[in-house]
Amino acid sequence: METIVRIPTPLRTLTQGADEVAAVGATVADVIADLESKYPGIKDRLCDEKGVRKFINIFVGDEDIRFLEGLKTELKNGDRISIVPAIAGG
Amino acid sequence: MTKRVLLVGAGGIGSPAALVLAQAYATGTCPPFEIVAADDDVVERSNLHRQILFSDRDVGTDKLDALVRAVADRAPGLRVVPYRGRLLPDTAIDLVRDVDVVLDATDNFASRFLGADAANIVGRPIVHSASVRWHATVLASAAGGRPCYRCLFEDLPEGPAPDCATAGVVGPVCGVAGALAAELTLRILRGDESGFGWVYTYDGRRDSLRRVPLRARATCELCGALASDRIVRLEAGRYAGDACQD
Repeated sequence: METIVRIPTPLRTLTQGADEVAAVGATVADVIADLESKYPGIKDRLCDEKGVRKFINIFVGDEDIRFLEGLKTELKNGDRISIVPAIAGG
Repeated sequence: MTKRVLLVGAGGIGSPAALVLAQAYATGTCPPFEIVAADDDVVERSNLHRQILFSDRDVGTDKLDALVRAVADRAPGLRVVPYRGRLLPDTAIDLVRDVDVVLDATDNFASRFLGADAANIVGRPIVHSASVRWHATVLASAAGGRPCYRCLFEDLPEGPAPDCATAGVVGPVCGVAGALAAELTLRILRGDESGFGWVYTYDGRRDSLRRVPLRARATCELCGALASDRIVRLEAGRYAGDACQD
């Protein structure tokens, strides 16, 4: 299943500037693994050994995956994933 | 009674936010209020593209002096109380307790988490606004949170994180972030709670503004009912690390 992932500005250096990329997978974890195969280093920016990093949020549609099944959240056709990192500039 | 807004940071976000607040005051579209403005920097020419409150004549002068002048030009009668310094663990509680709402327009993670924690501890609403490159994030948290900034971002990033100095920032994106933060602040001053419980993200390259629900996390260290170790005081060590360097 192909999913569109919105890439926030701080991570676009890893996606050659792309602000949206396609990835395949039945779960969020699968999609991240697919992203890692295409854009090495991105998984480490999103996850640590415990799961999604504390200063990163991943939304499937409008839902934060922390309130779903976390990285095991299953995806449906048409789902879009958004990554919202903590940023500090002003 | 005149309400008080603590504007923390008079930079790329604080500057447009102050403009919006001043215009709202001047046009009488909100209850009377005054601004307590905190900053410790001077106006630099290289920042004028996003610090739109200032002009060439302000370069080299204290930002707070320039802010007081600029606000007075636009909103005579709007009192601005300058606080020359940053939000620090030993000053934050007193600063925040003395106001009705906080507008966090800071430029580093330490101040951002410190503001969130201080506001929650003394029971004040806070609006957070941040911007890097083409991306901005804005959210408002009610007094007591549920949800709050730490419900979304649990803790400070480990290691260096991009900021305006290292990653750059696009002036108009700061403008959107500052204007939106000011609008949410004005809602709070009016007693309108509709801005709580959402996180706004703006992508300047796509000109796309999104709003998604922000949920309270039961285990949030700041406002969660099931937190194992609630944050009830400001400990300086909590706000240190690579990501806190300005």
